[in-house]
Amino acid sequence: MRRGSIVQLVVLGMLFGAGAAAVALLIPWLPDPASEQADRIDFVFWFVTAICIAIFALVAAVIVYSILHFRARPDDDEDGPPTHGNTGLEIVWTAVPAALVTAISIVSAVVLAKNEHLPTAATASAARAAQASTVNGLCKTKSADPLKPLVVCVMAQQFSWLFKYPGYGNATSATLRLPIHRTVQLQLQSTDVIHSFWVPEFGQKQDAVPGLLTKLVITPTRNGIFPVICTELCGLGHAVMRSQAQVTSEADFVKWAKSRGSTANPGNGAPGGTSGAKLFVDNGCNGCHTFKPASSTGTIGPDLDNLSEAARRANQPLDTFIRESIVDPGKYVEPGYPNAMPGTFATLPPEQIDALVKYLSGGGK
Amino acid sequence: MSDTVLGFHENEAQAEHPAPAPPPRGFHRLLAPGWLRVPWMMALFFGLGAGIVVLVRWAEGWDPIWDGSVITTVELTTVPLGFLVGLGGFDYWTRYAVGAPTQPEDHSGHGARSWRDYFRINTDHKVIGIQYLVTTIVFFVIAGLLAMFMRAELAQPGMQFVDNQTFNGLFSVHAALMIFLFVIPAFAGLGNYVIPLMIGAPDMAFPRLNALSFWLLPIAGVMMVSSFLAPGGAFAAGWTGYAPLSVHQPIGTVFFNMGVQWAGASSIMTALNFLVTIITMRAPGMTFWRMPLLVWANFTTSLLVVIATPFIAGSQFFVLFDRVMHTHFFDYTGGGYPLGYQHIFWFYSHPAVYIMMLPGFGIASEVISVMARKPIFGYRLMALSLMAILVLGFSVWAHHMFVAGMAPWLRVPMMVTSLVIAVPTGIKVFSWLATLWEGRIHFETPMLFALGFVSMFVIGGLSGIYLAAVPIDIHASDTYFVVAHIHYVLFGGSLFTIFAGIYFWFPKMTGRMYNERLGKLHFWLTFIGFNLTFFPMHWLGLQGMPRRVADYAPRFADLNLFISIASFGLGISTVVFLYNMITSWRFGPAASANPWRSLTLEWQVSSPPPIFNFDEIPQVVGNPYEYGVPGARHGVFNGDRVQQGEEVHA
Repeated sequence: MRRGSIVQLVVLGMLFGAGAAAVALLIPWLPDPASEQADRIDFVFWFVTAICIAIFALVAAVIVYSILHFRARPDDDEDGPPTHGNTGLEIVWTAVPAALVTAISIVSAVVLAKNEHLPTAATASAARAAQASTVNGLCKTKSADPLKPLVVCVMAQQFSWLFKYPGYGNATSATLRLPIHRTVQLQLQSTDVIHSFWVPEFGQKQDAVPGLLTKLVITPTRNGIFPVICTELCGLGHAVMRSQAQVTSEADFVKWAKSRGSTANPGNGAPGGTSGAKLFVDNGCNGCHTFKPASSTGTIGPDLDNLSEAARRANQPLDTFIRESIVDPGKYVEPGYPNAMPGTFATLPPEQIDALVKYLSGGGK
Repeated sequence: MSDTVLGFHENEAQAEHPAPAPPPRGFHRLLAPGWLRVPWMMALFFGLGAGIVVLVRWAEGWDPIWDGSVITTVELTTVPLGFLVGLGGFDYWTRYAVGAPTQPEDHSGHGARSWRDYFRINTDHKVIGIQYLVTTIVFFVIAGLLAMFMRAELAQPGMQFVDNQTFNGLFSVHAALMIFLFVIPAFAGLGNYVIPLMIGAPDMAFPRLNALSFWLLPIAGVMMVSSFLAPGGAFAAGWTGYAPLSVHQPIGTVFFNMGVQWAGASSIMTALNFLVTIITMRAPGMTFWRMPLLVWANFTTSLLVVIATPFIAGSQFFVLFDRVMHTHFFDYTGGGYPLGYQHIFWFYSHPAVYIMMLPGFGIASEVISVMARKPIFGYRLMALSLMAILVLGFSVWAHHMFVAGMAPWLRVPMMVTSLVIAVPTGIKVFSWLATLWEGRIHFETPMLFALGFVSMFVIGGLSGIYLAAVPIDIHASDTYFVVAHIHYVLFGGSLFTIFAGIYFWFPKMTGRMYNERLGKLHFWLTFIGFNLTFFPMHWLGLQGMPRRVADYAPRFADLNLFISIASFGLGISTVVFLYNMITSWRFGPAASANPWRSLTLEWQVSSPPPIFNFDEIPQVVGNPYEYGVPGARHGVFNGDRVQQGEEVHA
């Protein structure tokens, strides 16, 4: 190889490297991180990006150089030099990528272990045991000790999220509230199909699988409101199975959680009772529907403040209309909305359906 | 070598074989294999299927006796069987099995003398290869149109054109068709045409099985497309069809469950055929280390297919059983394990990624070596890296499940194996680059697509490194980043090499040249449209747009509109391709036997090749890529046979 061609190749490589680096740095590829875990994920991301830019620059430089310099004239019938290989080169381009992927593996494994670390676990083996447990079980840790990780039960169903705080009298909420700088363990469950919990700013994601209790660790580092997104196709309403995660100060969080906890059914973790307001939240109705008395603002399904009007259009008495819409949602579908409401509410105990009908027909009373 | 074109006369070859039996007359035409026997055989098998269901339900006292969804499920097995029986797919074996005197093979079912011969059971691998390619391109166009509908809906947030069920059906059928009816069988079609020629064989090892494996394919395709007509809409749980969602979907899902069985059976039959053909039918002198890399690639791909495909067949049967027979494979309330589906599914579907890529590697090696006029760099390591990918490919499936809730310890080992695959893949990329180096590169359309493949596949491979690293995957999994990655690998990888292969062997297959200017126009439109469409998706995914959604956050609106417009441009580029193929096949200038001055055996016979490929069996005396080696030869024919012991090495 001539010296001139090496210089040209290096220049081309640096040009492509600079171009790729500019694309990587000037465009905000990742959301502004809002958790310790996202910070670490960002580090792995940039570590891999640096390696990838180098490889891309090398490949692009060789291809472009070859296209520019080794182009045959149309009438050129000559063959190239009969090079069959070069053992030294082949060893290099086997060994160097092997070393690079080893480095990526080590960095990734360390970050993964850190991102799943729970501060309270006394020993590493206990932490591993806690993480490894995939037994069928219910989310039920009652610790309110601020030193211990906050446990939030995440109940996923088509197409809504319900967050429950076992440490705060089983307070429930349709949006996720978290205190800043406190490590939280989400314990995810699903009642129907597979869903997946993701907050892009937290960087963390975990599927909620029916019959399994899966876990996810998050340590928020920034106050704000972030989207909660379902990322596993779960049916018709998958695209709109969204909620919000709100990070506040520890004091605000405790105040909110205690006020929530006292109104919730004391001492009993299972959704139940015959309080229409509580049933409305426990069953995730607020995830999809706007209903002023419950201060819910969902827009997946029709606005429930206009139920009497909808009943009139369906030519039905209000109570019958509401009951049928809960038990058999496909019977009357409000124009402009998908027929996406799950039919699972038909299996609620009759007294709970009665309570919901009463709650909705009475305008929240 | 280029002067050793065989003066082969087709009529001479035919004269050696007995004249075909006279065509049947009168009502006998209804009994002879062919399209007249198809309708009544399908009706007969429909009755058979319905009869069994009704009889069982009557005997068990179930109500109603006529249950549409059960009947449909059974008919998706029996009616296609009737179609195959009618067409004559089983005639020879049936006679053999029942002890009737077998008809002597008169080769009347071999080769194409008119267009009609492409529409029947044909045992000629060259006819079957073209049947495969035309069929798969038809489904490629259909699946592409589905993607256009999808992009129309995604041009703006909110719902505009289709409802949620239809949208979920659009992306599910798009992916299923592209994978099972286009990429996998298109490679099988190219391999079918080229491999027997490349290894100096007169045909595949099992020509009747070969014909049958093709005719399973339109069955699978029609089944998947027609699911749009099923009550409740097309299958809508994605091409991955995750349980338990897929178990509780409308009847359209069964069309996917069964369509995969037909396509999978077709795949397995072809793969077995390739394996036996490559192992037993190589011309004298064609040792394994003298096989062209496309043959190596199809050899490893076929091993993958034979080992892996039964797993997806099983996973789809389990979903079907859960639905129809109320078993509990994936229903946790009955003791089932929902993640079991994903483990079984990905145990096929990750190797399937290599099933969809290794033949492309083979095509790229052929095109790059011939068009750079240089031997392929590091031939043995190229072949060995294919084998390494084959072995490693079975140890990485759970990298699709890093956030699925599987055993946590499994993630780091799966990450390491996934990353290690980058090593043999890197060897291949660097070897292609080294093959280009100091070559005399001719930039005809196949070479443009091959180089487009190398550069796009590098980007797809690098984004694969991100997804293999567990922490990044936890963030990026199930987002548009994954959509971008799979399209860089499957569109930039597989589709570009399929295009390269079609242009490269077009003169051999049709005997005519394609239009070079239109070919180049097609490449540039595709290359630019592809990057404008798919590169921005990386950003969408990392920022927070999940995949498989019809509606998305308003802040992604502008970029999605841009992507939609770019994708329509990409769609239009396909029109150029189709126009070029159709007009060139019909009116293109006659092609010489060896327009690329290639050394491999398929170019040493006329274009198109004689009906039994070789007048005489070629003798292989050297490596297939000896460009620039003075006096080197790959294959010789009678007349210029070298003296014993005078084999040419390089």
